[in-house]
Amino acid sequence: MTGVLHLSGVRAGYGQVNVLDDLSLEVGSGEIVVMLGANGAGKTTTLRAVSGMIGRSGTIEFDGHSIAKSSPDAIVRAGVAQVPQGRGTFPELSVEDNLRTGAFVRSDREVGADIDRWFDVFPRLRERRTQRAGSLSGGEQQMLAIARALMSRPRLLLCDEPSLGLAPLITQELFQVIARLNAETGLSVLLVEQNANLAMQIASRVYLLETGRIVATGSAEELSADDAVRKAYLGF
Amino acid sequence: MELFLQRLFDGLSQGSVYALIALGLVIIYRGTGHLNFAQGEMALFATYVVYQMGEWGWSIYPALLVGVLVGFVVGAVAEVALVRPVSKKSPFAVFIVTIGLFQFLNWLDGAIWGDQLLPNSGVGSKQSQFPSLFPDQPDDFVSIFGAAIKIESIGVFLLVLVITGLLFLLFNKTKFGLSMRAVASNIESAKLVGIRTNTVLMASWGLAAAIGAIGGVVFAGINNNVNLGLMFTVFIYGSAAATLGGFDSPGGAVIGGLAIGVIENMVAGYLPEWVGQEMKIAVAFIVIVVVLLFKPSGLFGTSKVERV
Repeated sequence: MTGVLHLSGVRAGYGQVNVLDDLSLEVGSGEIVVMLGANGAGKTTTLRAVSGMIGRSGTIEFDGHSIAKSSPDAIVRAGVAQVPQGRGTFPELSVEDNLRTGAFVRSDREVGADIDRWFDVFPRLRERRTQRAGSLSGGEQQMLAIARALMSRPRLLLCDEPSLGLAPLITQELFQVIARLNAETGLSVLLVEQNANLAMQIASRVYLLETGRIVATGSAEELSADDAVRKAYLGF
Repeated sequence: MELFLQRLFDGLSQGSVYALIALGLVIIYRGTGHLNFAQGEMALFATYVVYQMGEWGWSIYPALLVGVLVGFVVGAVAEVALVRPVSKKSPFAVFIVTIGLFQFLNWLDGAIWGDQLLPNSGVGSKQSQFPSLFPDQPDDFVSIFGAAIKIESIGVFLLVLVITGLLFLLFNKTKFGLSMRAVASNIESAKLVGIRTNTVLMASWGLAAAIGAIGGVVFAGINNNVNLGLMFTVFIYGSAAATLGGFDSPGGAVIGGLAIGVIENMVAGYLPEWVGQEMKIAVAFIVIVVVLLFKPSGLFGTSKVERV
């Protein structure tokens, strides 16, 4: 397994407070890695540390190159795209313009073709292409956020709680799209979730995060066989 | 009818200046959510630079180009050196910083061009001759339905229409415009898609000040005069224009500016005993209050749409 993303000894946080404390994890090429954890465990902070949105220290390597000191735009250019928590679309911009911003780091002429491609994957976005993103439903906005991230043609997709505020059926649909992209294109995914049941169905590997540290790791089957994990995250 | 047309065109050319200042305010507000109190004084500094080029023998058009560039640099430097570090600590303090910049630039203009003993007191200083961008001799007018309309008025109005059109293309048809709109909409997400938001903000302030510089030069040209108090009332009218049009709408700023110019001239012209030249500034305030009462987001501003 060749690692796409490699973190070791990462500390990160806001101001004086360190949310992540000596965090290490690995995302292999073509893997869907799911990181589970309660509110405040540091899931979002982990993703923000990878995408360069907050101050961090330690080793963060993407494709064997350190991105621990890179700026957010350099990290996007390197091939990492993040779908932020709460979708983070541009509410005043049209659906199509939202997708165009996703291609901001590209200078090729295939942007239009890519937009069409994601419209094929998410037909509801095509119907609303001229509508302002702020007027879409929660599920549609989440689709838009994912499609926008994919417009940069990333090799690693970071997803921050895509299930937040969505009906289980919609969440399942989204996860299936992610799994299909992973199978078809070999896109690596680091997915952060509180909603463990659905996320574990598509996971190659699972990390368990508690107060800024990894406390358990393994395949989805291994972790769901663990009693403590089952009680805390799966609810049965 | 002739009088009406004359007042209409006088109003449109006055309003064009308000529109240019309002455009600058709107561009900065959209990008950063700040009201730039120094917008008028940035414009005045650039206008004085154009005046200085004239003193050195440059003709007005190349001098205007230099003024626009100087304006851009002043705006960009203000954002990088003052606004950005302060807004990290406290967004509210930016408000005070732009007032400080207002004071500083006016002081600087007075020290260099105002023949003021230091420290200067600001207003009431030397009046300097300033050339117009358009023919403005007493016989430079065209006749429209019997009314004598100054060529200068028409020229200023057309200039603003052209600038508005170019800005529209910039915002809606270019990658830089897309990045400006993205930053205005959601700066966190703009960073996450790889937009260099700092560069965009710097360029937005520069662009705003460059447009303001054109406004300053046009206004000084209309008055044939530049002095330290030139932009005080223009800034107030420009703010009124931005409020009327909606603080986040460039098109609204232009229409707001033109509307206030026309209203002001009509009211002053038709109600000379009630309003006249002395009281017409009150019209701008009344417009602000009325608009804020009935439509807080302005005529063309967007009220926030959000579904969760």
